[in-house]
Amino acid sequence: MAEIKQEYDGLVLGAGIAGMQAALDLAGQGFDVLLVERAPSIGGVMVGLNKVFPTLDCSSCICTPRMAEVAHHERITLLTYTELKHLERTARGFSVTLVKKPRYVVEEDCIGCAKCELACNVVVPHEFDYGLGAHAAVYIPHGNAIPQVAVLDPQYCMFDGACARACPTDCIDFTQQPEEINVQAGAVILATGLKLVPLDVKKEYGGGKYVNVMNPLAMERLQSPNGPYGHVMRPSDGKIPRSIAYVQCAGSRDKSIGVPYCSRICCMYALKQGIMIRQHLPETEVTIYHMDIRAFGKGYEQFYRRAVGEGIRVVKAKVARITEEPNKDLKLRVELIDEGGRVAEIRHDLVVLSQGVIPGWKPDGAAPVRIDEDGFFLIPEMAARPANSSHEGVFVAGVATGPKDIPDAIVEAGAAAMEAAMYLGRSQARAGGVQ
Amino acid sequence: MSEIKRNWREDLKIFRERMGGVTQERKDWQKEQRDYSKAISGVLEKGARTVPEIAEASGLPSDKILWHLMAMKKYGKIAEAGRSGDYFRYELKGGQS
Repeated sequence: MAEIKQEYDGLVLGAGIAGMQAALDLAGQGFDVLLVERAPSIGGVMVGLNKVFPTLDCSSCICTPRMAEVAHHERITLLTYTELKHLERTARGFSVTLVKKPRYVVEEDCIGCAKCELACNVVVPHEFDYGLGAHAAVYIPHGNAIPQVAVLDPQYCMFDGACARACPTDCIDFTQQPEEINVQAGAVILATGLKLVPLDVKKEYGGGKYVNVMNPLAMERLQSPNGPYGHVMRPSDGKIPRSIAYVQCAGSRDKSIGVPYCSRICCMYALKQGIMIRQHLPETEVTIYHMDIRAFGKGYEQFYRRAVGEGIRVVKAKVARITEEPNKDLKLRVELIDEGGRVAEIRHDLVVLSQGVIPGWKPDGAAPVRIDEDGFFLIPEMAARPANSSHEGVFVAGVATGPKDIPDAIVEAGAAAMEAAMYLGRSQARAGGVQ
Repeated sequence: MSEIKRNWREDLKIFRERMGGVTQERKDWQKEQRDYSKAISGVLEKGARTVPEIAEASGLPSDKILWHLMAMKKYGKIAEAGRSGDYFRYELKGGQS
């Protein structure tokens, strides 16, 4: 574990793309930053994506250099596998209590050789691959993980000591316990990201029940070169799908499940995934069932037109329900809006539900910030100060304020870092210090 | 690097107790893994097969066959061996069984 000082200028909570950018921008202005991530690796959702829209650049090729820069920046201290317990204002800024979860591996001794992982006799579903892939009970989080340090999942450990026996640096430490860490921070940036509504939130779509109804982030992993199968195949039997459906707004723009807002990114990632599927599997049909296509950013309308030009079928329709056939194909009962509301039953090999985006973290009293009606952090002056939370000295970046794409998250991270820098400057001037 | 010399065997005993020992759930999980691994290896000893072919020969569900097969592939026990229609074929790597 990195040496932790007692005081930092800035605390950034969340080391996805927005948190990393905010930390880099703040540290680049000469402030000492503590960057805290709850997962065993930094990188957030972005490091697991295949491509970004509309450029179709490799996502990890953009994300991993930032991860490395964060890890090596002399003014950034990185704390992974750590969660915020409590944050409160003091006379000198904020008093922060963090809890570092036990990895059962001594970070400074682990060389990331994965010999423990290869020696382990148990395989378990890999969260990074949304359960489609496997890892051993002790494992390096993923190929691009930073830090490249193993973590042991005690839930699946068979206690045979195979990992400790294989470790060349004697870094397996079964005595580790959750560790409380207390620091002071002058300003705080919350970049706590997103998660998706549960796959089974709309029972009529069979998510979580039918194995070939999947999560769009799982599809990203299937399309990634380092994904769980190495190819796009359906989970029921490894068949290369010849017909894939995307069901849009499957958990957003829907008051019945408490997500009345548009998740903004779903139309674009469905189009992007469709293009990538067609590039690798030109004979595979991709159909996107949608209420309307929202191509909201620069170059996005052209991207939509390109997708249509490349053979993606974009169908205005309402999917009423999905049922499973005996061979695990999926039958969609669909109301085709552009055909006068005609109801049809259409078979597909695989269905991706474009699930709604919800906040990745809720403070539940851990931090003194207010939450908006939609569950994301409240921004009292959205037009004038889009990175300022309801609490002075606490700033917000990325999807923590609402669904947005990667460019917007990065821009907002820069704004949050600038607001935090100005706030720290004012605080230090008031205290008579010199920056 | 830390200078602490760990007595991991002693530590492991305490850890095992603290985590509730090897529960029936853990035993069942490991047994399933062993059974699938053995069944897959047994079928592939006869030559490269697709997931449905392995499932049919072993009588085990194809989704679980795929999951365990991919775990075995990740850890170097299985390799791809071309395609058969809409399915990839898999073989034991280096004659392993």
